[in-house]
Amino acid sequence: MPDRGARVPFRRVDAIATEGLTKHYGLPRRWRGGSAGFAPIRALDDLTIAVHAGEIFGFLGPNGSGKSTAIRLFLGFIHPTAGRAHVLGQDVSTAGAALRGRIGYLPGGIALYDSLTGTQLLDYLGAFYPRPPVLRASLVERLDLSGRDLGRPIRDYSRGMRQKIGIVQALQHDPELAILDEPSEGLDPLMQRAFYAILDERKAAGRTVFFSSHVLSEVERVCDRVAIIRDGRLVALESVAALLARRRRHVEARLDAPVPALAAALAALPGVSAFESRDDRLAFGLDGDVAPLLRLLQGAPLADLTIEPARLEDAFLELYDEPAP
Amino acid sequence: MSWILFRRTWAAQRVRLLLVMLALAVWGFLLPVVYATFGKDMGALIQSGAFANVVDVLSRFTGGDVFSIRGTVALGLVHPIALALVAIQVIGFAAAAVAGERQRGTLEVLLARPLERRVLYATLLVATVLFAALTEAAVLGGIVAGALLFGVAGDLRAIDIALCWLNAVALFGALGAISLAASVSFDRLGPAMGIALGVTLVGYAIEFLGTLWPDAAWLRPYSPFRYFQPTRILAGTFEQRDLLVLGAVFAAAVAWAAWVFPRRDLAAPS
Repeated sequence: MPDRGARVPFRRVDAIATEGLTKHYGLPRRWRGGSAGFAPIRALDDLTIAVHAGEIFGFLGPNGSGKSTAIRLFLGFIHPTAGRAHVLGQDVSTAGAALRGRIGYLPGGIALYDSLTGTQLLDYLGAFYPRPPVLRASLVERLDLSGRDLGRPIRDYSRGMRQKIGIVQALQHDPELAILDEPSEGLDPLMQRAFYAILDERKAAGRTVFFSSHVLSEVERVCDRVAIIRDGRLVALESVAALLARRRRHVEARLDAPVPALAAALAALPGVSAFESRDDRLAFGLDGDVAPLLRLLQGAPLADLTIEPARLEDAFLELYDEPAP
Repeated sequence: MSWILFRRTWAAQRVRLLLVMLALAVWGFLLPVVYATFGKDMGALIQSGAFANVVDVLSRFTGGDVFSIRGTVALGLVHPIALALVAIQVIGFAAAAVAGERQRGTLEVLLARPLERRVLYATLLVATVLFAALTEAAVLGGIVAGALLFGVAGDLRAIDIALCWLNAVALFGALGAISLAASVSFDRLGPAMGIALGVTLVGYAIEFLGTLWPDAAWLRPYSPFRYFQPTRILAGTFEQRDLLVLGAVFAAAVAWAAWVFPRRDLAAPS
């Protein structure tokens, strides 16, 4: 089983460190015409995570699971009901503006000043930072934003263009920590690839990326570790590799002729489940190491063998107790 | 105070501000013209006959008149046309300044910068007061220009004009501060604008009603407009209490906003 919300030591040196971070909304019932007592909405409950400096950290969960609440707590937009959070070594409840000067933030479904041109917007938003926008030229080029594009008013931009300008405004000042909420939303596959390369470069430069997404394949592609939250609670926190290593692979073998002894041996192999044998076709799920399976198949009259790689999507869905599609 | 934000605010508001100032200046300019070409003679005619007290009654009803240059200046400032134009700029701006950005989702982008909420608020407050000062200056500038051009500025005193301007800025500064306090208190523009307009319109209605109906006169001290008295200033009976009351309203609204805004949760835009 994955590490379901195991406690991690609270270290201020981490890019993000939270301990028991909790956010409840809601008024006493009596204020809403009911009987006395509280009926809070538990937006985030007892979140304890550590995002290490220099890693790309994925933050997964469906809509309403508490991802945006956590991000808003990190940025000081909302205040915790309980617990604490340190970002870049500073307590978010007291750090203030100086801390946000070291962060780049891309909100989900970013809203921009429509009357400004792209250049005016980047100039305006960049002017608040103590650092110059040293990465702007490179980001604009990588994301294929031409001078003509940047000279047009934002209101004329497509959704993808808005997202690209959102990425540039978040990263142009070379922040120590980038908090990106659904960053590839609206990007075409080419731009997604360019964006992933940008993230890789951020990591190579020692910068930290906190990455919230619904797109599990991209999290699998770019993230070192992931946290999965459900109903405001952490349900898994581990490296993508470890998560995938524990996932079930789907194996399908086709033999030149039925071999009952091989089928029986495979069915008894540790980690094999949902074993099906029909004529010359064998299908089953496999957890853990593939080496024992390969040893067993060595010398068998194999016509075809397919081992589907474990997918983060399966891990995610399993953690949410939903059947995989 | 953030100069970056202030420059952006100015750039976003300047066209509307200039149009409002132009309209107010034209309005102000026309009043001395009416006085010079019609009101002066008509006033003298009325004063000489059996309806001598009509001017006083009319002046009390409207807060000014066009039968004297002082009455003309007062009318220029308190007439609903002038009040509405100033309110569009000052109260409209202040009520939308935070709640509007919040509703559009741009406040989130802005506050992700190294910008304290108190600094954001202070910058918008400065802009609000500046807009009040400029719009009221436009009315008075128009009136003075008209009066000078038509040679009827004779008994107007610069100090009285300055005090009228100060009184008007204090009124709209207070209303603007209330509007901005409402703006930082709500996530949506509707409630913020509702409170801002509600305070302004109810305050105006109370003052108007109290002036006309003696039984409702006890309500007048509760209206900010009660403390906007250009007629008294121009008659040389200026009361510092008016400025103090409006200043206290301004301070209370600022204190509320400065307390609430940094402490409140800014949940995700809906």
